[in-house]
Amino acid sequence: MRGPSTPLRGALLGLLLERPGHGGDLANRLAARLGETWRVDTNDVYRLLEQLEKTGLALSRDEPKRGNHRRTHLVYHPTEETSEALTLWMETLLPREPVRLGLQAKLSVARQEDAPRLLIALRAYERECLVLAQLVAPNDGEARSWAALCMECTRDAVYAQLQTEVDWATRTRRRINEFLERDQ
Amino acid sequence: MTPLLSFLNVSKRCADGGREILVLDRACLDIDAGVSVGVYGARRSGKSTLLRLAAGIALPDSGTVSFDGADMAQMSAAARSRLLRSAIAFMSADDWRANAGESVVDHVATALGSEGLTMREARHRALRVLDQVGVGAAGAQETASSLSLTERTKVMLARALAREPRLLVLDEPAQMPNLSDRDRFYALLRSATRERGMALLVASEEMAALQGLGVLMSISDGELCSTEERGTVVQMPGRRRAGAERPGW
Repeated sequence: MRGPSTPLRGALLGLLLERPGHGGDLANRLAARLGETWRVDTNDVYRLLEQLEKTGLALSRDEPKRGNHRRTHLVYHPTEETSEALTLWMETLLPREPVRLGLQAKLSVARQEDAPRLLIALRAYERECLVLAQLVAPNDGEARSWAALCMECTRDAVYAQLQTEVDWATRTRRRINEFLERDQ
Repeated sequence: MTPLLSFLNVSKRCADGGREILVLDRACLDIDAGVSVGVYGARRSGKSTLLRLAAGIALPDSGTVSFDGADMAQMSAAARSRLLRSAIAFMSADDWRANAGESVVDHVATALGSEGLTMREARHRALRVLDQVGVGAAGAQETASSLSLTERTKVMLARALAREPRLLVLDEPAQMPNLSDRDRFYALLRSATRERGMALLVASEEMAALQGLGVLMSISDGELCSTEERGTVVQMPGRRRAGAERPGW
């Protein structure tokens, strides 16, 4: 499945492996984990959980609600396939634009054993940003018209964004490497 | 074809207090004649070390740096010094040293001292290169020590180009207050190296400064990342079942 919700689907696998939960609980945990910059739609989460169940990556059971045992709700559990699917997602490199979100989602639920996969994904992303920067036509410092100036400013915006992305990727790699060194 | 400059598993360490830091970690890099390479990296990322090794100013602790097929570590210090005055030019904004009262043209001409030219011939060549970097006849007669940062950078470039090197190594060359000046300087650098067919290795803390170069790399913690590696690192060997499909997410 492709589209903007795909990183959420991967992140849900990680959350399910941590502990089972009902749709609202998983949506809340997802929102808390991904942070304020990510708008998590609860309806998307329910839809993704249904899809995960259809593909054998989650299993739902009617279980009594906490505090009100006469009422039940669907609680999603991981299956035998869930862990391997999470590993596959960690290994999967994505095309340009959605990668940052995908990486952020991976980082939010990564297990320590995923560190090598994250390091590879971060390096691939860094390289992808460099490729994009290489494609941007250069400014020649001779903006003679307002339109040319605006074009230069637009290119600057692209460079600023790509530089930030490369900095983030290298900083994240450094954090992971420093942790792994300390942990040895 | 032998690359003009080649790094093969080059590592460099330096002391930091009581411990050793790996400043460059098994760097591999080939630069052919006429190729321009930009290295983006933050401070203390290892980029200046990379450039000093490329220019033969420093030698690696392990691995091989070769220029035109010759291992730099096998050369005598005098031979490397000669190389740095002929086939390789190294320019860093921190290296500006003009003698008191020296004119711009003389400042460039003195760089040609080892070429066996008379001072008149050296001045003639200096004027021609200064003109190519946008410093006219009037500017060439100004006192070098009184130049603005932008003019100084152009003169430094002229000084580097005057010896007609085959490899130009620049460490953060354009620390200019004016962005248009910076862009013009890099446009000049690109055209000057292209016209001469020389290789260019330039490092900057600003990715935007490296625009328009043939190959872009980044460096962090002494580790190089290059666009040329695309596709070599794609997936981990893993626990994936034989024939299992990759999820499309």
